[in-house]
Amino acid sequence: MSLKGKVALVTGGSRGIGRAITLRLARDGADVIINYFRKRETAEATAKEAAALGVTAHTIKANVGDPEKVGAMFKEVEEKFGRLDIFINNAASGVARSAMELDVKGWDWTMDINAKAFLMCAQRAAPLMKNGGKMVTISSLGSRMVLPVYTSVGVSKAALEALTRYLAVELAPKGICVNGVSGGAVESDALRMYTKDMPARNWNVSTPAGRMVRGEDIANLVAFLCNDESNMIRGQVIVIDGGMSLTQVMPGGA
Amino acid sequence: MATTEETLKGIVNKVLRKEVDFSDGATFKDFAADSLDIVQILVGVEEAFDIEIKDEDLQEIKTMGAFVAYIDRKVAEKGSKVG
Repeated sequence: MSLKGKVALVTGGSRGIGRAITLRLARDGADVIINYFRKRETAEATAKEAAALGVTAHTIKANVGDPEKVGAMFKEVEEKFGRLDIFINNAASGVARSAMELDVKGWDWTMDINAKAFLMCAQRAAPLMKNGGKMVTISSLGSRMVLPVYTSVGVSKAALEALTRYLAVELAPKGICVNGVSGGAVESDALRMYTKDMPARNWNVSTPAGRMVRGEDIANLVAFLCNDESNMIRGQVIVIDGGMSLTQVMPGGA
Repeated sequence: MATTEETLKGIVNKVLRKEVDFSDGATFKDFAADSLDIVQILVGVEEAFDIEIKDEDLQEIKTMGAFVAYIDRKVAEKGSKVG
């Protein structure tokens, strides 16, 4: 599969799953724009790795939860590249609290970055996809399973997944495919944060596949959804969890 | 032109949605700022002063007075790099 000549924007693309996606798209030949929130050095390091794969790599600092910053980011994308072919809605944040402890500020923060940002970005990305394009959102199993203190993120991911379906239908006539990827048991800082108070657990034996999901596994699926071979998949959120959710209740879940 | 302290106070007040007592020894804890407040304050400061605050520097900026001094130093470092 080749994405040579395509222009891809990955929000939160400098580290973790976002970094794996950025580097995979670069490896497939796409020029990559790496959006980051605060850590410039990390973003530049990822950009350097991507550029070493022979593509153009550009970094843009923006809090995607702020519509003004989103507007400025897409203005820069248009000025530097003139168009966009691939948009990966990966940036996420969250407040680790139960529903009874969650305040308005934490709710707004999480919903803004995880759900509203996709709407704001999609509205600006679609007009830049002049020859059609692909949008992929990164969700998590917490959208439909109950995980401890995951309330705000889980609800925001449910909104993100619903928006993925609505946009898939609305943008189809423009030749834009919109799909989602929902990861579970992913080796990440987020999993470490949300499970730090739980009893130690060997996640590798928690999945029928026998190991945890890696950022690269997510990136492989994203790359497929960015390729024309996946054109008949629309508005779907594909679970990638090594089969974990088929066989058991999540730790601490209801 | 607003001083560093005035600009910082404006950012802190905006994030916390209240007027805070901004005496020299005041800490984020005194303002009942939680981790999300602190992230929003850091982002506001980074944008207002066009600097980057590294996580390892957070130990250094526990009081507002120390934060003002830190910002001034970062801005000066940036100026010297440009010059």
